[in-house]
Amino acid sequence: MEYRRKPELQDRLAAEFVLGTLRGPARARFRRWLREDAALARVVDRWSARLVPMALAVQSRRPPARVWRAIEERLAGAMPGTGSGLWNSLAFWRALGLIASGAAAALLVAVTVFVPPAPHPAPAPLVLRVPSNEIPASYLAVLSDPKTQKPMLIVSAGRNSDQLWVKALDPSIHVPQKSLELWAVMPKGQPPKSLGMLSREQKTMLPLREIADHSLADVPMLAVSLEPMGGSPTGKPTGPMMYTGPCVQYW
Amino acid sequence: MSAPDPLADLLSACGRGDRAAFGRLYEATSAKLFGVAIRILRREDWAEEVLQDCYVSIWSHAHGYRPGLSAPMTWMTSIVRNRCLDWLRKPGLEVIDEDGSVIDNAPSDNPGPLAELQRSADASALARCLQALEARQRQAIALAFYDGLSHAELASHMRQPLGTVKTWVRRGLLRLKACLGEGA
Repeated sequence: MEYRRKPELQDRLAAEFVLGTLRGPARARFRRWLREDAALARVVDRWSARLVPMALAVQSRRPPARVWRAIEERLAGAMPGTGSGLWNSLAFWRALGLIASGAAAALLVAVTVFVPPAPHPAPAPLVLRVPSNEIPASYLAVLSDPKTQKPMLIVSAGRNSDQLWVKALDPSIHVPQKSLELWAVMPKGQPPKSLGMLSREQKTMLPLREIADHSLADVPMLAVSLEPMGGSPTGKPTGPMMYTGPCVQYW
Repeated sequence: MSAPDPLADLLSACGRGDRAAFGRLYEATSAKLFGVAIRILRREDWAEEVLQDCYVSIWSHAHGYRPGLSAPMTWMTSIVRNRCLDWLRKPGLEVIDEDGSVIDNAPSDNPGPLAELQRSADASALARCLQALEARQRQAIALAFYDGLSHAELASHMRQPLGTVKTWVRRGLLRLKACLGEGA
């Protein structure tokens, strides 16, 4: 990589990374280099030692007690055997991750999804209309009801976008006095991460913390759980899992 | 690293899975780190969420902490700052200022934290070196560090062309490095 032969550039990027002025894709790229380049990490450590003590001057503020409670709950959930219920079960999440990685290979972009035979209405193909023949490189997921296999939501985000779009295919998914929360099911039994609450509009835009290539690349599956109004009070899913689907990279 | 830092002992205990040590570490450090997060994010609810994520991350990465490479507080503060900057990544992040707290905490031109730094014995060399910078270099660096302003935000806040602000930051950092190098 070009920066390796340019110690001055390395030093400047490291300084601006620590100061915080290195932003956006440049910051993300620099972080990838950092993971692979121990020498560069040392340069960053030296800049951290110089600049980060500036933070000592910031006024302290005692966080509310709920922060510590939430941390404790999350740590309890991360330890095998201490949690309760399906959502806390590591085995469940691992299994879901395994299913997802297999299913991801099977599901390319779902342009036509067949609804399996139902007792009464005749089976009919459900056509998902895609705006043009060219779909930009995106992360895609079609979430369906595990009982009926009926697709209920389409989730998509451009690789380099930090906006996740959720489109409800059926307005009846919403439940009065409850909220639907979207989760990234993580691999290797890590706890799921909340991606946000679905609005009652047909389309919801959820801001991602980082661009999709960073926040979704390792996510095998997305899931929606039913939560109290306003979302899970614990930071982990607390209600039943309503819809799930593999998260695929389409490019 | 001269005197042994009690936080380093707590961190290594956390690395061995000692939950009581983690509780003491939180007691000792959370107020400062919460202050850092609020200052950058200017929203308490976001700062709470970031703090929560960061302590979970500190707990799970404590075994990888190497006392020889960075001071415990520097290591933990870096985790919080990185997380905050990721959070602010969206360029036009909309801030809903329901209670006026954003206006109250908006980046201010007064050197608040810098003055505080001069009183801290641990950071006196840093304070001296910051004081030795040109005023505009110092202001640009403080706004970037404390308030999480990007180059573009610095330019608009300081009403200067982008290139000028970038130069202030770059030169300020080089002068800081040279100044701190003497004593370090």
